[in-house]
Amino acid sequence: MKDCKKIGKNMVAFLYGELGESEKDRLVSHIESCAACRNELEQLKKIYKGAEVLNEDIERAMATIDWESLPARIADAVVKKEIPMDRKSRRTGFWQVLFQPGFRPVYAGILLGVVLGSLVTFLIFRSQPFQSPENGRIIVPKGFYDMMELEMARRGTIDYLDKSEYLLLDFVQSSPERSAEYWRSDLASQRARDLLSKKTYIDQQLDKLQLAKAKAICDQIELLFFELMQTSEQLSAEELRKIQNLVEERQLLLKIKLVKKELEKSEV
Amino acid sequence: MQAEKRVEHEYIHSLVESVKYGDREAFMGITRLYQRKVFLLAYSYFYNKEDALDIVQETFLRFYQKAHMFKKGKNFQNWLLQIAKNICIDYYRKHHSKGNEWGRKENIEDVHLPSHNQGHSHSSSDLREIISRCLEKLSERQRMIFVMKHYNQLQYNEIAQILNIASGTVKSLHFKAVRNLRTLMSPYMGRIG
Repeated sequence: MKDCKKIGKNMVAFLYGELGESEKDRLVSHIESCAACRNELEQLKKIYKGAEVLNEDIERAMATIDWESLPARIADAVVKKEIPMDRKSRRTGFWQVLFQPGFRPVYAGILLGVVLGSLVTFLIFRSQPFQSPENGRIIVPKGFYDMMELEMARRGTIDYLDKSEYLLLDFVQSSPERSAEYWRSDLASQRARDLLSKKTYIDQQLDKLQLAKAKAICDQIELLFFELMQTSEQLSAEELRKIQNLVEERQLLLKIKLVKKELEKSEV
Repeated sequence: MQAEKRVEHEYIHSLVESVKYGDREAFMGITRLYQRKVFLLAYSYFYNKEDALDIVQETFLRFYQKAHMFKKGKNFQNWLLQIAKNICIDYYRKHHSKGNEWGRKENIEDVHLPSHNQGHSHSSSDLREIISRCLEKLSERQRMIFVMKHYNQLQYNEIAQILNIASGTVKSLHFKAVRNLRTLMSPYMGRIG
């Protein structure tokens, strides 16, 4: 089937004797084995031969024409009909229109304008040399720095609250014995220390900007972690349970979530 | 062979140059050289001697008018046949076609051929009638390409130059023209054989 399609495409070229030897051989051998293609080729041959009939007509018609006198008759028709010669090609016509004498004052005016304009520009820049900005200084719109600082503080605080939330969750949800063990371990103290150092970094920004709510909650978290780090070794399970209850009573986790949401909403 | 062609090419260019200056003999020389080729194209397009002669005259008048636009280095025959092709299409639209559009295809049922007695082999005039009618049903472009290829025996690249389209497009349109002819002529195939 695929072969038939390919062969079908070559049939017209075959009829006109334009097929290469290998393709011709392929077509002939396919035709021998495929009745449908053979039939198709037969029909195309008939059309080709049929169209040849018109060739006889053309030859007959051509034989009746006096070709010797025809050129003279046509040449006479040129004179008789006074056929004008298009002396200009489209391009030369366009250039001639562009450079016709009537346009000369226009071009002179444009040239004078360009010369005068260049002269004036040169004189202006010579008297007031262009001052380049000082090296390394970037000019930014007013209030841009404040906006940047606020945005950095906001992102820093969200990050701080995120990490604190996980640490507090660990603390509240585990048993007092495991919690005490946990707080004695290096891992907890490392995480709390990281958070405390982060807090000292964002403290300056929180003081400066209006993030009072966030600052209050961050301070509480800081105090809690600081106390836990310092005293966890001496605290009994009972005391740790009390601290866990205190965290729950004060709804510290809920407050963290609310402040975080508020901060996320107030994106700059 | 190459040298012969170059001499011929230069001779034709010199004739065209002379025509630009109104040389009657040069104009007649060009006409003498190409009148048959233009007639062949026009006749195989219209199947009418008078129409074809009109086209021949109109083509050479147009050549005289536009001789200055012929650029050196171009193939003169292709340029002249391009003029002839445009005149053929204009002439056909003006005299033969009623709203026939470029690329229009018609249904095979629309072919109204004269009725013939079944069982009798057709005379060549009937066959001529069938073929010319079927050719007329092809789109203008397909018909022009078929005529140029079959009767003028032009190469695909020459037709491409005359029609100002890609050679591959000419090939595929010629293929479609033959296929469409086959479809149009299939009801009469039995009689042709």
